[in-house]
Amino acid sequence: MSILPQALSARLANWFTAPMLVSFLVFGTMPFWIDAVGLYQYLGVEVMIWVIFALAVNLLLGYTGLPSFGHGAFLGIGAYAYGLTQFNVAANLWISLLGAVVVTAALGGLVAALISHRRGIYFALMTIACAQIFYFVASKWTDMTGGEDGLLNILRLPVDLGLTEFSIKSNFNLYYLCFAAYVIIVVLMWRLVHSPFGQIIRAIKQNDSRVAFLGYNVWLYKWLIFTLSCAISGLAGALFAMAQEGAYINIMSLQWSGIVILMVLIGGGFINFWGPVLGVIFYFLARDILGAYTDTWLLWFGLIFVIMVMFKPEGLAGIWHDAQSMFGRRKAKPQPDPSAKPSHAGGD
Amino acid sequence: MFDFLIGLLPHLLNGVALGLLFALLSLGFMLIIGVMEVINLAHGSLFALGAYFAVMLMGQDGGLPFAFMQSYYDLPAIPRYIIALIVAPALVGVVGMGLEICLRRTYGKDPLYGLLLTFGAALVLEEVIREIWGPAEYFLPLPKAISGGFFFGDLIYSNYRIFAAIFAMAMIGLLWAFLNRTPYGAVIKAGAHDSEMVRVLGYNLSRLRLYVFAFGAALAAIAGIIMAPIWGVRPHVGVDAVIPAFVVIVLGGVGSFWGAVSAGLLVGMMVALTAAFLTEWSLLSMYLLLLVVVTFRSRGFAGKASALEQ
Repeated sequence: MSILPQALSARLANWFTAPMLVSFLVFGTMPFWIDAVGLYQYLGVEVMIWVIFALAVNLLLGYTGLPSFGHGAFLGIGAYAYGLTQFNVAANLWISLLGAVVVTAALGGLVAALISHRRGIYFALMTIACAQIFYFVASKWTDMTGGEDGLLNILRLPVDLGLTEFSIKSNFNLYYLCFAAYVIIVVLMWRLVHSPFGQIIRAIKQNDSRVAFLGYNVWLYKWLIFTLSCAISGLAGALFAMAQEGAYINIMSLQWSGIVILMVLIGGGFINFWGPVLGVIFYFLARDILGAYTDTWLLWFGLIFVIMVMFKPEGLAGIWHDAQSMFGRRKAKPQPDPSAKPSHAGGD
Repeated sequence: MFDFLIGLLPHLLNGVALGLLFALLSLGFMLIIGVMEVINLAHGSLFALGAYFAVMLMGQDGGLPFAFMQSYYDLPAIPRYIIALIVAPALVGVVGMGLEICLRRTYGKDPLYGLLLTFGAALVLEEVIREIWGPAEYFLPLPKAISGGFFFGDLIYSNYRIFAAIFAMAMIGLLWAFLNRTPYGAVIKAGAHDSEMVRVLGYNLSRLRLYVFAFGAALAAIAGIIMAPIWGVRPHVGVDAVIPAFVVIVLGGVGSFWGAVSAGLLVGMMVALTAAFLTEWSLLSMYLLLLVVVTFRSRGFAGKASALEQ
């Protein structure tokens, strides 16, 4: 960093960190080596989309302590909204993406308005109920969503950059669109969680009553973060619709809402910003590697998950932290242990 | 008008049968929440497992693993049904004990961990079921005495639903008596109120939790066996069952016996009546009901404050 003036490098360090740059490097070059390691381009697209989605979920689960167990619904809504904007409003990528994000944020905001005064398990239950309502509406409103068949023939519209445009018909090009979305989301999200706003949502996770006593409007903060998370999920959904060239009801089921929570947890979203990224990679590698050997790979994946919750609830990121302190690369600093929270929190 | 009401009667009966079964299922769920403060997402899988064990014990061509067991199928249907109703829940209770032992590491932590662990367990159990019995749908054979139908005016009505309603009612009554009229029930209720205090009084809390979990799992299995002829038996049936149990508990209020029973009946009625007029939307009505009730009464009909709100 010595080539840069001190002030500039300090400012850049606010925006970019070493793990972030490593992730950009790895994901940025992935299409060039993914075939060589025996995997395939479409997997990269899937990973990128689910990483964006899992980061959005972790904004709620890991940072605000709000267990949203029905978030798959918003991924699905984003996918449908992308397709419907494309068919009914304008066949332009940016307008369709905007449509997906706005519609998902609006519906997410509506749900958030109904549930932001809840916390803990009751919050989780309400998100499940809302997600199921969206699921049933999407599966029965055949004129709009295509019902059980799904919304077919969604196009991968060309990326229009004003001076030039390029096609995303190939998975290689689509991957770079997803990667661009990932870079923007990650940089902005990192800033967000390290901003004063981010501090307040983390305080809400610790003890929302105290945050309220300090004069913050907890309800509003929860509403904002939930709506934001839904908007990002909507973006991921739009990318998913492009990848699959269709929007299907299956993705809105509780199964997928549960699996994304599983990804976040297995990666260690509770203690580390990068947990969801690790978790998504782990999930897809497990699917493709275990899946090559056995049809019941989900059984083994579930077992790994159960064992992890029992012995290492901080997930892969927790194992990484342990390894670091074991090899003394940095002093073992006390981890914020989520399990340290007593079940009957004092002080309220 | 009168004809309309007569036409409604079978649906009301369906609703009562369904509601009582929902109540039975959720009471097991609630016992586990009460004593262990764990939302058992695997409850639906235990429900499904109960139904599969019963199919194994009732099936014509068997499915019992060992040859010497084949003579068991020579028994008449009624004793076999009774055996299924006893043995299958007992087996599921043992599975429940295994799950409780895994859960022990999450006690005292954020209740989210218990919920996640049971979610993983549900995934595993569903895959195990798929592996052993395959993805096909099974039907539970019934003894002649409780199958078939009878005429009610010009309407044909199935005997089995009447049996299911009466059986579920009896089970709920027995459960109430067990919880309120026996010393074991008193310990369980005390455990739900304040488990540490029960330990202080000299009861073995680990063992209490183990038994209560097994008991809750067995109740899920009984509900699964009774529901099997109505819903069919397939690997995914667990998910279809755990969600109504959830809804019933939240509607009725955590920790309230009669809250769960009344909420179960209400949900059952609601599902059966919407199924009669708007078949497509029958399950949706349940969630709308939940959303409306919980928006205005945050702890359901009769809920008390619980650890789940942390």
